[in-house]
Amino acid sequence: MAPKIEYYCPCLSESPHPPPPNRPSSSYSFHPLHNLFFCEECDAVRCNRCVSVEVSGYYCPNCLFEVPSASVRAEKNRCARNCFLCPNCRNTLTVVPSDPPEDVDSRMSPIVSTTLGEPPFFLYCNHCRWDSAEVGITFEKPTGLAAQLQKFEDSAPESLEFERLKEHFEPFLRASSSSSALPSASSHHVHTNPITAAASSALARDIPGVGKYNPLSRSRVGREKGAHRQEYPDYKSRVEVGTALSGEADVEFLRHLETVSQVAALEQRWTNSWVSPLSASDLKPLRIPLQSKKSKRCPSCRHILIKPEQKAQSVRFKIKLVAANYLPAIAVTLPHAQAAIEMLKRTSKTTSAAAQAEEQQAAGALIAGHSYSFHLAFTNPLYDPIQIRLAKAIAPAQTAEGDEAAERARRSTFQIQLPSAAFPVGAFAEAWEYDDEDEAMFLDDDGMEVVEARGKKGKDGRGKTRSVGIVEKRANVTIVSGEVLIPKEARGDVKFNMLVSYTYRSDDPEPSEEAQTGTPSRSHGANKGPEMKNFSFYTVVDLGSIMYREEPKLTADL
Amino acid sequence: AGTIVHPKATIFAIAGPIVIGSGCIIEEGAIIVNRRKEVMRIGDDNLFEIGCRVESPTVGNCNTICTRARVHHTLRISSYCVVGAGVLVVPTEDEMLDEYTVIYGPAAERRVWSGRGKVQEMDLRRKHAEYLREMLPKFNRLRRGDGA
Repeated sequence: MAPKIEYYCPCLSESPHPPPPNRPSSSYSFHPLHNLFFCEECDAVRCNRCVSVEVSGYYCPNCLFEVPSASVRAEKNRCARNCFLCPNCRNTLTVVPSDPPEDVDSRMSPIVSTTLGEPPFFLYCNHCRWDSAEVGITFEKPTGLAAQLQKFEDSAPESLEFERLKEHFEPFLRASSSSSALPSASSHHVHTNPITAAASSALARDIPGVGKYNPLSRSRVGREKGAHRQEYPDYKSRVEVGTALSGEADVEFLRHLETVSQVAALEQRWTNSWVSPLSASDLKPLRIPLQSKKSKRCPSCRHILIKPEQKAQSVRFKIKLVAANYLPAIAVTLPHAQAAIEMLKRTSKTTSAAAQAEEQQAAGALIAGHSYSFHLAFTNPLYDPIQIRLAKAIAPAQTAEGDEAAERARRSTFQIQLPSAAFPVGAFAEAWEYDDEDEAMFLDDDGMEVVEARGKKGKDGRGKTRSVGIVEKRANVTIVSGEVLIPKEARGDVKFNMLVSYTYRSDDPEPSEEAQTGTPSRSHGANKGPEMKNFSFYTVVDLGSIMYREEPKLTADL
Repeated sequence: AGTIVHPKATIFAIAGPIVIGSGCIIEEGAIIVNRRKEVMRIGDDNLFEIGCRVESPTVGNCNTICTRARVHHTLRISSYCVVGAGVLVVPTEDEMLDEYTVIYGPAAERRVWSGRGKVQEMDLRRKHAEYLREMLPKFNRLRRGDGA
């Protein structure tokens, strides 16, 4: 129940106001800062939900080989080299030679004869010690395993059936695609793969209720297709469908089960595309499925936000426009909770981990009827100093169930007090460039409405930081404190929406300063030279749940 | 004879003696505890990897107790067993693991190994032991006089 703060992404919705935080559905609009991106063109926050994703490349997670997109389709999304998945524990398998024949006792036997070992080779899982010899798969050479396995795959009954189906329908597909009046591209299909022919004629198929789209004459195509349809002879399958798909063999197997572990578990079976065997001892090793590297774009202006590097093993990005580089990072802490935790740590050192966790939770709890102060630490990522202004977000008009209910609701919720004046946060610079810390600490807090709140270092919860205002300013971090007053009848979580708006000086020849808060404003002016830019975003601050107690268990020092 | 014990391994013979066979490798942070009064016997060519904790009263030959595994004192390990990484093996009553058993996965599933590849593994272990025998004395700061 540690206090946390999340940012709001409007996701291209019309109203910029966030939903009230207490509804469970609104948690999907709020994200932690590290999940958010920022589009410079639109000057807006983008989250994972509203961003458009496209694949930028495929790679094998085991051998880190980048697969060109053409071979991805050919290899059915699997790695073509020696990467296999253990059917038992889903780890990667290694290719291992068999043991050398033992003629003498093994104690003094020499090192294995050749470095490559002896055939036959088989696949071996280091984690669960499964090996492919249990299902009867061995190889003569340690490389090019996929090709060797291909022979087995091709002789499986399902793929033979599929091949026969393709052969059977091929002449009809060619006939129908050549006579259709689809745009000229289809006339080239006569000589192509039967799969593509099947796909294109499936698209042109008659759908009841939908008029057929045909740029050229419609009636001619309809008639011809109808004529062809009657000429299909019946297809005779290789194997009787009844027996092949009947579960009789499975039923027999299940009847003779001895332990549950003989049946293949769900996780073991669903990576396989075909119907996989029921018994765990029949599971075959699978080629490792490829994973993709994705690049993300802003949905409105199509600007690329994230573009990963082409190499599979590098985790960096060529283009990386994350929100953390533009928006200040905010961290929420409850100083009284920290002080209580410190006290607990110092006194009780021998309690078990579980008991300590519980006590820490209890220490940080918000008790109804008290008021607590919380600290918000703002970290500025920009190279210019910024001025931040906080405001409570105005909830959109809600339907009132009745005057009394609304009154009660308003009374029983908590009250928040935030510093209302603008406070500056220093610019980001390298660590050694900062001035002496003491200088920043003694700056006067101008324009503070409430009693000054300058505690020493701000971390000590026992300082006189009851009131609202700047607590500490250090390098590019500023800590301010606000207050939350919880009346006795309040219940639930303490969550409130907060509007953060900040102005910064930019070098672009952009607009004049606007003091309005509420919407990202950028009026277009003709002024040249550095101007102030304004940006604002909503956040939700979650301070934890309210715990109701008669008298406080721990004396929080406030 | 030939067993390698890393300087940071812990062998606690609190209540009873511990007898360790030859060719074992006890790596860094391994803890071998005997809280029973009986003798705790460990066989030959075992590998106790980093951070593991063994309280089993009997350990056979050629076993591998992987990294951060924990074996309770109710379990007796025979030969050629493998206890996977991070696995917590706590049977409720006294139990003996058959030979060639592999325990793996977070839920400590078991299966039987076919024994294939054990010659190569023993080979590897012997090479591991020889390498450690050469290298460890060079880097042991507490006994610099012997090694360098």
